[in-house]
Amino acid sequence: MSYAYLFKYIIIGDTGVGKSCLLLQFTDKRFQPVHDLTIGVEFGARMITIDGKQIKLQIWDTAGQEAFRSITRSYYRGAAGALLVYDITRRETFNHLTTWLEDARQHSNSNMVIMLIGNKSDLDSRREVKKEEGEAFAREHGLVFMETSARTAANVEEAFINTAKEIYEKIQEGVFDINNEANGIKIGQQATPTNPALPGSGGAGGAANSGCC
Amino acid sequence: MFRSRSWFGGPWGGRPKNRLSLEHLKYLYSILEKNTTVSESNRGLLVESLRCIAEILIWGDQHDSLVFDFFLEKNMLSYFLHIMRQKSGGSSFVCVQLLQTLNILFENIRNETSLYYLLSNNHVNSIMVHKFDFSDEDVMGYYILFLKTLSLKLNTHTIHFFYNEHTNDFPLYTEAIKFFNHPESMVRIAVRTISLNVYKVQNASMLRFIRDKTAAPYFSNLVWFIGKHILELDTCVRTDIDHQSNQKLSNLVAEHLDHLHYLSDILLLDIKDLNAVLTEHLLHKLFVPLYIFSLTPAPPPPSLAVVTQNLAAVLNRNVDIDIQEMHNPRVSSIVALYLLSLVFLVVTHAPLVHALAWVILNGDHSVFKEGAAEILNSYVEHREVVVPGFGEPHESLEQALDTVIGHTSTSASSGADAVSEDSGVESTPAASSSPINRHIETVAEAAATRLRNITDEEKQRLQQTSSTSTQGYVELAKPFLDTVLQALDCTENDYLALLSLCLIYAMSHNRGMKNEWFEQVLSKSMHGSFSYRTALIEHLLNIITQSSQPSCRIRLITVEIALELLLTFTKSAADEAPCITATQQGLLFGARNQSMVVLRNFYKSEDIFLDLFEDEYNEMRKSQLNVEFLCMDSTILLPPTGTPLTGIGFTRRLPCGEVEKARRAIRVYFLLRRTCQKFLNEKESLLPLTNVVNLVQVDNVLDLNNSDLIACTVVAKDNTKQRRFLVIDALQLILVEPDAKLLGWGVAKFVGFLQDVEVQGDKDDSRCLHITVHRGGVTHNRTPLLSAKFLFDDHIRCMAAKQRLTKGRSKARQKKMYQIAQLIEIPGQLDSPLYPVCGTSAHSAGAGNTRLVQKGGLTANRVPGFAAVLRSNNSAGVSRTQMAQNRSLEGLRNESGGRSRRRSPMATGSPSSLRPDSGGMLDRDRSPSMSGGSHSSSQSRENSQARSSGNRSREGSPRMPRPRSEEIPLEDFQHSRNNSPHSRSGALGNPSPSSRSHTPSRMLHYDQISVHNASPREPSMLIGGTNALLNPLNGGVTIAREVLPLQSSEETSFIGNDGDAAADNRRKGRGTIETV
Repeated sequence: MSYAYLFKYIIIGDTGVGKSCLLLQFTDKRFQPVHDLTIGVEFGARMITIDGKQIKLQIWDTAGQEAFRSITRSYYRGAAGALLVYDITRRETFNHLTTWLEDARQHSNSNMVIMLIGNKSDLDSRREVKKEEGEAFAREHGLVFMETSARTAANVEEAFINTAKEIYEKIQEGVFDINNEANGIKIGQQATPTNPALPGSGGAGGAANSGCC
Repeated sequence: MFRSRSWFGGPWGGRPKNRLSLEHLKYLYSILEKNTTVSESNRGLLVESLRCIAEILIWGDQHDSLVFDFFLEKNMLSYFLHIMRQKSGGSSFVCVQLLQTLNILFENIRNETSLYYLLSNNHVNSIMVHKFDFSDEDVMGYYILFLKTLSLKLNTHTIHFFYNEHTNDFPLYTEAIKFFNHPESMVRIAVRTISLNVYKVQNASMLRFIRDKTAAPYFSNLVWFIGKHILELDTCVRTDIDHQSNQKLSNLVAEHLDHLHYLSDILLLDIKDLNAVLTEHLLHKLFVPLYIFSLTPAPPPPSLAVVTQNLAAVLNRNVDIDIQEMHNPRVSSIVALYLLSLVFLVVTHAPLVHALAWVILNGDHSVFKEGAAEILNSYVEHREVVVPGFGEPHESLEQALDTVIGHTSTSASSGADAVSEDSGVESTPAASSSPINRHIETVAEAAATRLRNITDEEKQRLQQTSSTSTQGYVELAKPFLDTVLQALDCTENDYLALLSLCLIYAMSHNRGMKNEWFEQVLSKSMHGSFSYRTALIEHLLNIITQSSQPSCRIRLITVEIALELLLTFTKSAADEAPCITATQQGLLFGARNQSMVVLRNFYKSEDIFLDLFEDEYNEMRKSQLNVEFLCMDSTILLPPTGTPLTGIGFTRRLPCGEVEKARRAIRVYFLLRRTCQKFLNEKESLLPLTNVVNLVQVDNVLDLNNSDLIACTVVAKDNTKQRRFLVIDALQLILVEPDAKLLGWGVAKFVGFLQDVEVQGDKDDSRCLHITVHRGGVTHNRTPLLSAKFLFDDHIRCMAAKQRLTKGRSKARQKKMYQIAQLIEIPGQLDSPLYPVCGTSAHSAGAGNTRLVQKGGLTANRVPGFAAVLRSNNSAGVSRTQMAQNRSLEGLRNESGGRSRRRSPMATGSPSSLRPDSGGMLDRDRSPSMSGGSHSSSQSRENSQARSSGNRSREGSPRMPRPRSEEIPLEDFQHSRNNSPHSRSGALGNPSPSSRSHTPSRMLHYDQISVHNASPREPSMLIGGTNALLNPLNGGVTIAREVLPLQSSEETSFIGNDGDAAADNRRKGRGTIETV
C-alpha cells in the first residue's frame, strides 16, 4: 500500500479517558461499537484521503509510558499530531490538561498540531465538564476542539481527519520540514502520488471516507 | 490493512446469531480447526475469525468466564502459532491481524487469572521469538507494542512466565533490545520502556541474568550507538557555521538528550550490579575515550607522528607515541564541553559523576590507558574492567545475544566488550539475598575510606608536579582542568567560554557530587601557592570585567552564568556573606562601575530608553538562570551570532543594532548591580522604578473629594459606551465610576500608566480624544490595554484632559528618567536639579524649550499642593477637602479610607510632633517660598482664596495652568527659595493662610526626610522642594500623589467656569505673569 505521506500521531491524556478505544474506533472499522464492551488498542494505522492524496495515519498510544522521564520527553518529538483527550464525565481529567499541554509544548516540535478531545460524549447524563469549557480551553491555548464518543463513533473520524487536514495545510504552507522525519512526517515511496486515489476517496474537501486499505 | 468484508453468510453455516457469545467462539474455533493451512482462499476468513476472537475474549473476560475456559481448554493460542509459522500464513496480512488480536487481548484483559492462564503455556514466548517481517511498519508497530504491553504486566509474580531461570531464556527482553537502534523513533522509545520495565522488577535471578548475559553486549552497543550519534552531531556543528541546518542540529541534540535521560533513568533504578556495568561502559567506552580525549589539544597530524617515530627508531631512542591514539575519533572541544555539561546536568549517579569529575579535575593522559580505575574501585567491588577506548563492539547486539542465549556458558569473546564472566558471576554477592543490607553498608563504608585514601594519594601525587614533555607539547598535571579553564578566555569571543561555564556550573550543581570533595580539588594548588579556585575566580572576574566594556563580544547568558558561578565559588561555608579578597571585590565593583559608564552613553531623552530600561528590569526578574534549559538549546553549539534572524533569544546572542546594544548595556548593569548587592548583603531599594505598592488597582475605592474629575464617555472599539470620570494621578490614568455608597468616592474601573498614554485629538470633533494606553515595555504583547475614543462634555474639558494627559505622561517619564539618572550616577545629576537631558537638549532652541516646559511641569507639581493646603486652612468648608487630601494617602490605597478621616485634623493640629529636627534645614529652605512665595504658590493661594470666598476671581484663578507649567516652574525649580522678583504674595496673598501653610508643608517634609534618610545614595544637599519629586522612593511618589488631586481641583474649578471666559482669562493670566 502506497501513500503520499505518513503522519505520525500520538494520543495523550489521563488513563481511562478512552484513548485506545478512540484509536481502535478510528483505525479499525470492523470493531463495531458494542454497548457493554470496551476494547482498545495502542497502535493502529489507517489510510485516508486528503486533497486527492493518500495519507497514512499512524497512531501511537503512549499509555503506560509515563513512568520514566526519558520516555515522556521523547515521545512528543517525532509526532506531527497529537490528540489530547479528556473524559467529559471526569472533571479531574480535564483539570490535568494544562500539565499535559505544558509537557507537549515543551518537548514537541513547535509545529505539532494538537487537537483537544472531550471523549465519552454519549454519557451526557454523567457529564462533569461542559462543552463550553472545553471550547474555552481550546480557544485559550490555540487548539482545535471536538467532543467525541468512542462508543457511538460520533466525531471520531472528524477528530483524526481534521487534525490530518491541518497538518496537510501546514505542509502546503511549507511550515513543516517534511524531509526531517523527526517531525513525524514521512514521504511515501512514491513522492508524487500520481496514481488516482483509491475508490471511495472524497472530493477536494477530503472528507476522506475511507475504509481500511 | 484490514479489509472490511463480511465473511459471514459464507458456505459455513451454523453461525450463531449473537456475535458475543461462547457459541460464537466455538464456531470460530471450528473454523480454525478446519483451516489449519493458510491459503489464498481462506485467508480472509481466518483474519476475520482471529479478529472476532479478540472481541469475544475481551467480552468474555468482562462477562462470561466460560469463554476463557474454552479458549484455554482448546489451546487456541497454539493455532495462532501454527498459522503464524506457515510460509503463506506468515504474510503480513495475517500476521498483522494476529498481532492486533494479541495486543487487544493483553491490553484489555482485566481478570488476573485470565492473564495467568494466557501466559501459562510457553506460547507467548514462542510468538515473541518468531521472526516476523519487520520491514512492514505495521507489523513492527504491533509487534513492539505487544512486547511493551507485556512488559507493563511484569511484576515479581509474572516474571516467571517470561524469564526461564533454567534455560536462561528471557525473550521479552532480549528480543526487544535488538531493536534499540531501530530507525523508527517510536520503536526505540518502546524498547527503552520495555527495558526499564524489565529492570524495575525486583527479581534477583532475572537481574543476574540481565547483568551477566546481556548487560555488557547491550550497553556496549548502546554506548557505541550514542557515540556514533555524537560524531554525527559533531560533523553537523563543524560544517554548520552559518546556522543553516539548525533543525537538524536541534534534533540531534534532542535525540542525544533522550539517550542521556534513558541512561539516567536506568541508573536511577539503582540496581547496583547493572549500574556498575553501565558506569564502566559509559566511562571507558564513551566519556573518557571520546569526550575527555577531545579536551586534549589535537595531536600533530598522523604523518608527522609516523615520521617522528621512524626518526626515533633510526636514532634508537624510545619515543612514546601512541599511533593508535592518533586515529581515535575526536569531537571538537566545543562539542566535548557541551556533552560533558549535559552529563553532569542529567546524570546524578554518584560513582559515574564522581569518576568523570575526578578525571576532569585530576586526571592526566594516563587515563586513556588506565581509565578511572582508582575512583571506580572505591565504589564497585570486583569491577569488570573495561579497557578504555571508543570503538565499535566486536559483535553486534543480536550476535552477542544469540551467543549468550545459545550457549549457557559463554566463552568470553575477546575484546573490550566481552563479559568477563569468571569475576562477574561468582563474585556477585547479590545471589545470597539475606545479608544484603549489611553488605551494602560495608561497601559504602569501604567506598568512603577508599575515597579518602584516594584523595590523599592524589594530593601526594599532585604535589610532585611532574610536567613531562611528550611529543613536543607539555603534558600538564591536570591537562583537562587546564583546558576547561583556558576555554574561559573571552578575548576573542565567548564561544568556548559559555560551554566551559556550563560545564563548571553543571559539575558544581550536580546532586550526585559531594561538595566537600569538589571543594577539596579546587583548593589544591595549581602552581605553587595559586589554587585552582583562585584561578577560576580570576577567570570569572576576567569575563565579568570584559563584559562591562563597550562593544565586547560576550553574550548576556555568559555574563549571567559567570556571575552566578562567582557567587557559588566565593561562598564560604561558614558565614552567609561571600568571601572574596579586596582585589577581587575591587575588580567586580570596577566592572559594575564600568558598566554604568557604558550605560550612561545610552541614557537618552527618547521615550524608548525608559521603556527599555523598565522592560529589561522586568525581564531580568522574570527569568531565572536555568542552565539545564539553556543546554537543551542546540544553538549554543554554534558560533555566537548577532542576528536575530536565527531565532536565537536575545540573551543567547550578541546585540544587533543600537537598541539592542542599549538593552544589553542595561542588562549587564542590572546583573552586575545585583551581584554587587549580594556581595554587600544589600537589598535592592531603587528598583523597580515604579513602586507597585503605591499603585491604584482596578476596583480600588478612591476618595475623590476635591480631586479633579473630568467626566467623559468612553467609546470602545466595539462601540460600547461607558460613562466614566477621568482622574489623573502622578503615575496613573484612572477611570472611575461613582461609588454607590459613598458620596464623593469612586471605584477605579481602569488603570493605566500615564507614561504609556498616547493622546490624539479628533479632527472632526473638538470634544473628542483618541486615547491609547499601551502595555508598556518594548517587546511583548502589542495590543494596548485600552484604545478608545473619549467623548467630553465640551471642548474645554477635552482640551484640559488632553493637556493633563500629555503633561502627566511627560512628568511621569521625566520623574523616572531622573531616577535612572540617579541610579547610574550621571555626573551633574546630583549637584544640579537640571536634568542633563534637558541641559543637552536645551542647546537646540526649540526642543530645549519644550523640555524646560515639561520639566517645569514636573516641579510645579508640588506647588499647588501648598496652595491647596493653604486653602484648606482658609475656610472650614474647604478644610474638609484637605482632610480628604490626607486621606487620599490611604484612601487611594485602602478602600476603607473613610475611617481615616480623623487622622488629618490631628496631623494638622500637632505639626511639631511630626516635625523632626533634621527637617529644620529643609523647612527653612522652604519657608521663603511659603511666606514670600514663589508666584505659583501665591497664585494658588489666590485661587483658593477666591474659591473659599465663593466669589471666583477670574483674574486670578485661570492664570494657574499656564504659568505653572511654563515659565514659573523653571525658575521655581532653579531658585525655589529666594526668588523675590516673582513674589507677589504681598499683593495677592493673604498673610494668615500663608503662615498657616507651614503645618502641612512640614508634614510633607517629614515624609521627604524619612525617605532621605533611608536612601544612602541621596545627596545630603538635596533641595526640599525637588526632593519630593525627584526622589525615586515611595516618598516622592506619595507626595506627588498627595499633591496632585488638588492641583487638578484648581483646573476643575477653572474648567467649571464658562468656557469662553476661562479661555480668555487664561490668556490674560498668562499675560499678567509674563509682564511681571
